[in-house]
Amino acid sequence: MNITVLTPEKEIFSGNINSVKVPGSQGAFQVLKNHAPIVSSLDEGKVSIVTAGGGYRYFDVESGAIKESNEAGRTLVFAIQGGFIEVLNDEVSLLVTGIENGLDG
Amino acid sequence: MAANLKEVRERIRSVQNTQQITKAMKMVSAAKLRRAQDAILSMRPYAEKLNGMLRNILSNLEGDAETVFGQERELKNACLVVMTSDRGLCGAFNTNVCKAAVRTIETKFADVYADGNLTILCIGKRGYDYFRKRYTGARIDNSHVNLFHGLSYENIAKVAGSLLDAFEKQEFDAVDIAYGKFKNAATQYTITEQFLPVAKIEREEGDAMLADYIFEPGKVELLQYLVPTILKTQFQKCLLDTHASEHGARMTAMDKATENANELLRELRISYNKARQEAITNEILEIVGGAAALEQG
Repeated sequence: MNITVLTPEKEIFSGNINSVKVPGSQGAFQVLKNHAPIVSSLDEGKVSIVTAGGGYRYFDVESGAIKESNEAGRTLVFAIQGGFIEVLNDEVSLLVTGIENGLDG
Repeated sequence: MAANLKEVRERIRSVQNTQQITKAMKMVSAAKLRRAQDAILSMRPYAEKLNGMLRNILSNLEGDAETVFGQERELKNACLVVMTSDRGLCGAFNTNVCKAAVRTIETKFADVYADGNLTILCIGKRGYDYFRKRYTGARIDNSHVNLFHGLSYENIAKVAGSLLDAFEKQEFDAVDIAYGKFKNAATQYTITEQFLPVAKIEREEGDAMLADYIFEPGKVELLQYLVPTILKTQFQKCLLDTHASEHGARMTAMDKATENANELLRELRISYNKARQEAITNEILEIVGGAAALEQG
């Protein structure tokens, strides 16, 4: 399943993932493959993405550049202040604000 | 003639110095413009996705979407946001933005201004300087005048959020933004746009229901989250546009100045050469005259 994580300033993650956990405003939930279509607002909290093989691009905080990787099963966690998630046909769009400490995993 | 020669030489040198500065400023602006354009481009996917979500919800919604930000109220208190640059030397850019703002004050907000209920929120020093002196009948808000120093979404969202709050609390019944809309490096439009209340959000034809979505917390509640976020990105777009326009305008202005300096230098060189030739001719005449006098004697 594919995901794009966008902030108002840049794209911070895009690529193939196994699962994503988000702090929905009615409780945290996890999105796996073949999830029903959903649109939800997100509260302050942590998003964690588990990557899959097939390549993904992410914004590396230390170097401040977009990096590519193929490593599967990697868990990336980042704190957000709020946002929205949309899932449709295994395409996840995550719109978030207030990424504080970036991606670590 | 020697004094004239020296004068011209000094002028040439001074023009050359100025040209060097304008050339450097043009180059700096070109680099900054590219970065400003990149910023506009990189926020676009986010804004588009947000709008996509909005349309998605609307297509699933029965009836019209109504939020507090669409409320049309009687115009008693208003706010005009004026986005200008911090520095000058960018042609008529700041003047044009201020003119666009003044047009709005004199037409749409004329009554509000006459009643002393107009707030002018200045972002960018130039606009602040302009309105501080001329429009003493309005409240001039300079608390965000330095926003261009830290143009992060966080800072922008704070300002936009406070405007939204004020509208919600009925402190303002309308908010307009005067800014420089960026088209390309050579063209910028300076216009005033209505920010609040937002135009009625209408379902577009052909907005087919894409899928049977689950909406959390609910369609109407989601709209209450979504609309302010969209408005904040709109505000951000205005700021980024102004920023890019400023650098575009400065680049064009400095390019023209450099060209002008070239023209000036060409003319100065001609007059310098003329003066030099004249001095030489005079000297030769003197020598020839002297020699002729000697021969005769």
